[in-house]
Amino acid sequence: MELKVETAVGMSRKWDAREAGREVAETVIQNLTRPPDFFLLFSTIHYEKYGGFQEFLNGVWDVLPKETPLIGGTVAGFINNYGCFSRGASALAVSYPSMDIAIGVGKNTKRNPNRAAKQCADMIQSGLKESAYKNKFLLNFISGPVMPSIPGVGQKKYIRSGFISNFALQALGLSQALVQKGLGREDEIFEETAKQLPDYQMILGTSMDDYKGMRNYQFYNDKLLTNAVVNLGIATDLSLNVYTTHGMKETDLHFTITKLGAGNHAICKINDKPAVPELLRILKWPEGFLTEETMIHTILYYPISLKRHGREVPVVMPMIMKDYIIIPCVIDDGEVSILTVSGKDLINAVKENLHYFDGMQPEFGLFSACMTILQTLGHKTNILQEELHHYFKDKSFLLFYSAGEGTYSPSKNITYANMSFNTAIFGNSKK
Amino acid sequence: MRDDPIANVLDDLMRLDDILACMVARRNMISVMPASEGFKPEVNQIWDNIHRAMDDVFGVIAAYSQIGLGEMEFRLQDYEVLFYIFPDTENALVAIVPALANKGLLEVEIENARREILKILENPTQKHGSQKKDDEVYVTA
Repeated sequence: MELKVETAVGMSRKWDAREAGREVAETVIQNLTRPPDFFLLFSTIHYEKYGGFQEFLNGVWDVLPKETPLIGGTVAGFINNYGCFSRGASALAVSYPSMDIAIGVGKNTKRNPNRAAKQCADMIQSGLKESAYKNKFLLNFISGPVMPSIPGVGQKKYIRSGFISNFALQALGLSQALVQKGLGREDEIFEETAKQLPDYQMILGTSMDDYKGMRNYQFYNDKLLTNAVVNLGIATDLSLNVYTTHGMKETDLHFTITKLGAGNHAICKINDKPAVPELLRILKWPEGFLTEETMIHTILYYPISLKRHGREVPVVMPMIMKDYIIIPCVIDDGEVSILTVSGKDLINAVKENLHYFDGMQPEFGLFSACMTILQTLGHKTNILQEELHHYFKDKSFLLFYSAGEGTYSPSKNITYANMSFNTAIFGNSKK
Repeated sequence: MRDDPIANVLDDLMRLDDILACMVARRNMISVMPASEGFKPEVNQIWDNIHRAMDDVFGVIAAYSQIGLGEMEFRLQDYEVLFYIFPDTENALVAIVPALANKGLLEVEIENARREILKILENPTQKHGSQKKDDEVYVTA
């Protein structure tokens, strides 16, 4: 008798870390007739204060069969079959005989992203080298950005002082190397991972807290990690595909980046002029318009389309340091378009994304989406849940919100984008 | 008060760092307060002003909830007051948050609380989310 795909989405809203860990595992196990082949686990940051994440993991392992491959980490929020949540824990587990699994881990991602990526990819490579299945998938889940605290300023998105900005820009690389605080460098890890495992379809996600960017944790079996990359590799006979949409639209506003800094993470000059005043002029925004408070309601709605190795990289500008714009990924200089995005565009991006999978009879789905979408849509993120629920019906799905996401496939190459919606769907092609 | 399932839902909300106060209220009346978690102390200094302003907002809610007013909010000094109205009523779930809070994330949980309270109001005799015991589990796919 052919064994079917069994999937379950686990969920807990308990506050106590150990109890929540147990519940999220119990709700999975009770809905599978066989032990899971893997267990993807995501949690909001709240358990840090209610027992800690080691206790949370201990709770999971009180219930989960030993040797089940487990990876995951903290995220800003998640959507699953039951709703949208910015507090709690959720898991996706699958049991299917025609599927081989490997998990991997790489450490010190902010200090040496390439080495971490290779370490992690090697584990997947060797774990799946005997697999006879041709369809290969990888979840590349990476520790996200941690804002360094600047003396006398704290952790801010907007720094007005020129002196402090100059200091902070110089110190950014040092902070990443010494204390591993700074940008997540997930784009670099993803590029390296795609280079190491070119025949996989991949989805990229990052670990975060509650949008503050102060700390994040990764889970690897029973181990709690920071500044790590964890991978889930799947080889299977199920059909699978990945796809990214973002809903950002080009405006008629353009500029040229003429000087980059901080290892190509900062735009220092636009049109040969200090970057921020020139950006304000182009957007027709008054001088002094950007503040810690206005940033979130203004600039996040004007992403920019940058370039990296000839690819379009649409990103938001998450941090301003006086005249410098900090960018979440490594970019190249040259021509830039200013984009715009609305809540409606974001929702349409989800519809467009799911439409791409119309030819698929889904068994389960995994998604990474930008946490700025969650922050922007607020409780209207329930509209996304309804769209997903309509597509998947009684099949399991889990979306987690992160800070730096994308997809890779051998045919479409890397898509890295902020404000994006990234899908991996497993199933059978409709006949 | 401790057995009130709506108060338990409010308790859950109060555990979020940036929820400084929450309640189910209508004009001139706070119907349900959190059971075990009090308002956070920083609200006390501005509570009288917020309370007065809230009553004015409830006047607008009373006038427009029947034609689909779903949410309202206002900002007073360094605080924002969010009203999630129960459809076709003059009642709302009210939450007070810092003006610079990550409101999008909070909105998700305030909306979850509103939905849970609505379920309690529709089926007052059933057990609901916040009252679940350890051996009760969520439905799964």
